[in-house]
Amino acid sequence: MNKRIVYTNDDGTVAVIVPADECGLTVEQIAAKDVPTGKEYHIVDAADIPTDRTFRDAWTWE
Amino acid sequence: MADIILTGDTSGAITVAAPAVAGTNTLTLPASTGTMITSATAAADVPKPTALSTASGSAPSYSARAWVNFNGTGTVAIRASGNVSSITDNGTGDYTANFATAMADANYASVCNSSRSDTNNAQGNNHTSTAVPATGSIRVIAQITTTASAQDQAYFMLAIFR
Repeated sequence: MNKRIVYTNDDGTVAVIVPADECGLTVEQIAAKDVPTGKEYHIVDAADIPTDRTFRDAWTWE
Repeated sequence: MADIILTGDTSGAITVAAPAVAGTNTLTLPASTGTMITSATAAADVPKPTALSTASGSAPSYSARAWVNFNGTGTVAIRASGNVSSITDNGTGDYTANFATAMADANYASVCNSSRSDTNNAQGNNHTSTAVPATGSIRVIAQITTTASAQDQAYFMLAIFR
């Protein structure tokens, strides 16, 4: 599953959900279950997430 | 050989039927008083084993209720998992495992381990003090113990027992 679910935490940091291929759920079902209630989220391609994590804690989502 | 007596209830029939293939098939009954279940329609009908087949001794066995092995560096990705719907990358060395089916309560035990990427300092893996374990997820962090700073890990493994 080359998708990621992105949302912004209350402190402004970015959370990236990595779906488990073997769980039998769709990415939409995972988003509905694992994104905190009320959070706006976006489903993106995994390739859209930076691989350089040097400044991971400073990531923002626009 | 003693007679085999099959007694039905007030209705229905008991049938012992051979499969439509050649060969000898043996139906082995328990050596002691007990019940052999050949089919079950409800989970409650299935006997619950008290030990894994490979276990020795008399102590009961408990299998993992959820587990995951993932790469926490570069493109964070799950290698393999069981009863885990996803992991959340919260930040450097900070991850949450989300269970596909929630635990009965949050009083489970977690075991986590990770690769050691810092050769100069001891590393540890903990569930975070700010996010206590929940029935549906657990947040874990890999950190350098001397500085308490989080650090991404190429291999992070987590198992849940209850």
